[in-house]
Amino acid sequence: MSHSTPPDCEAKSTSTLPEQPGVLVIRKHHFLVRLSHWLNVPILFGLILSGISIYWASPIYQHKPDPNTGNVDVAADIGIWICAHVPGLHHYSSAPDWIYNHMSLGPGMLGLALRLHWLCAYLFMLNGMVYVAGLVIGGGWRSLLPRRTDLLDALRMFRYYVGFPFAKLARREWPHPVFNTKYNALQRAAYFSVLVAGFLSVATGWAIHKPMQLHWLAALFGGYNAARVWHFWLMLIYIQFVVPHVILVFADGWDTLRSMIVGWSTRVERSEVLANEQ
Amino acid sequence: MNNEGKGDIPSMGVEPEVKSISVKKPQSFFGERLLPAIEMAPRILRYQSRRDFLGFGAAALAALAGAGFLLPQETLSRIGIHRNMDPLGKEWFLNKALRLDDDVAEALYSANRSVPTYTKSQITSLKNNYNGATPDPGYISGWKLTLDGLASGLSVSLDIRNLLTRFSLHEQITRLVCVEGWSAIAWWAGLRFDDLLRTHPPMSQAKWALVESSVNLDASGNPDPYFMSLDLATAHHPQTLLATQFNGHPLTLDHGAPLRLLVPVKLGLKNVKAVTRITYVAEEPRDYWAERGYSGYDGI
Repeated sequence: MSHSTPPDCEAKSTSTLPEQPGVLVIRKHHFLVRLSHWLNVPILFGLILSGISIYWASPIYQHKPDPNTGNVDVAADIGIWICAHVPGLHHYSSAPDWIYNHMSLGPGMLGLALRLHWLCAYLFMLNGMVYVAGLVIGGGWRSLLPRRTDLLDALRMFRYYVGFPFAKLARREWPHPVFNTKYNALQRAAYFSVLVAGFLSVATGWAIHKPMQLHWLAALFGGYNAARVWHFWLMLIYIQFVVPHVILVFADGWDTLRSMIVGWSTRVERSEVLANEQ
Repeated sequence: MNNEGKGDIPSMGVEPEVKSISVKKPQSFFGERLLPAIEMAPRILRYQSRRDFLGFGAAALAALAGAGFLLPQETLSRIGIHRNMDPLGKEWFLNKALRLDDDVAEALYSANRSVPTYTKSQITSLKNNYNGATPDPGYISGWKLTLDGLASGLSVSLDIRNLLTRFSLHEQITRLVCVEGWSAIAWWAGLRFDDLLRTHPPMSQAKWALVESSVNLDASGNPDPYFMSLDLATAHHPQTLLATQFNGHPLTLDHGAPLRLLVPVKLGLKNVKAVTRITYVAEEPRDYWAERGYSGYDGI
């Protein structure tokens, strides 16, 4: 029997806890939550890439036809602008397709993109059910619910993040706001809203996919055309969630990333044990 | 310290001893519970970590392989993966997914559910969306609608005057939704497909209609007959018309004069322009766009 305690555990527990031969951990994420969390990565990739290929066939954002090229697509304009202003892209062969060549499966493959989109959409719905099942079985859903104090706490966290680089530069102490919860208010807002966004993506997706049989659903979002706009912006919400999500996980450290794979975390400072000690 | 043997606890199933006393505060159902800190033997943690990292790593590789399998050739070439041919089974698999979606669409269809109708002020413009070139108007004067696969065993030909005098016209302002994503609201009038089915009943075992236009052209103007499968359940829908009028006037060449299929519970590509033949069959017939990688059912 090994009596060696990992150093990080020792450092955290010596002051308040009697010496333990094992490692103190909390079970942070249920297996089904971890599984569906990672499955979302390839599924959302597939949905977004095929989705933008579908968007190509009939862009939501159009203007009057360009007198020279006949182009109506704002996304094509952005591609043309990029190719004109980014060094090295001046001779890009199909500037209007730049966005589609780099952010979708590609232009001109609607039939294939639709089939991939349906495949990924059904997987996304199944995966969403697995995620919700994991939240319910593991009890994690309670940690995601918004609270009345969240607005103020979120502002405190926001102030912390904004001030963090300056405090580092000035070598000033910049303590992390203390919360007695699994997530801080900003995290909670982000995770909860991305869950809602997932639900709305599915709902608007069905509204676009079956605007006649489910016309009440399309009407709920303001009609067929409005549901397409919703569906598009929900995709952008994922992207603006994922970027800081990935940055912050790496900034937060190995324990956080590992906990989404193995389920447990050695960060027990906010656990029940210490709450009892306080 | 009396923790000898702890390392022998099997990894899952047996709860490791909980070292804390739970908080006895009354808690609301929605209130967040503090996570209990549990003591685990490092050996078990190492074993579980190894297992989970290997498992998730294998799944990540499988996902990559799946992406390589499913992504289109052009997309893969663009990121530097060159392959000479699509793997066998890819089309089969993607069509399987499409089939599932078609089954869902068919389950959602209800003969009694009407599509929304609009007022004249909501009418939008509808472009000429002939996939290829627009046919030469010469065909219109000699146009006939031929019906095959009838209960009588005969082939019936009807000209436009015949159709307009024998059937009553129905008007509707409905939305036409294209597979590409755009849609248009237009005011249509025509005879009900259901009425045609009543006066010229199909053979008893028929489940499908093959709707064809022999005047359709490809992009360079060569003959490219258009053919569409339509399930008879949809053909019977009261809003499925054989339209002869568009926005209050007889159909123009652009919109499939003198008669087009108008089936608002289907995607626009099922709304065959300048229909020349309808054949009732028992098995699902060929379909122009299904042969090009699109859905064959197209219920919306």
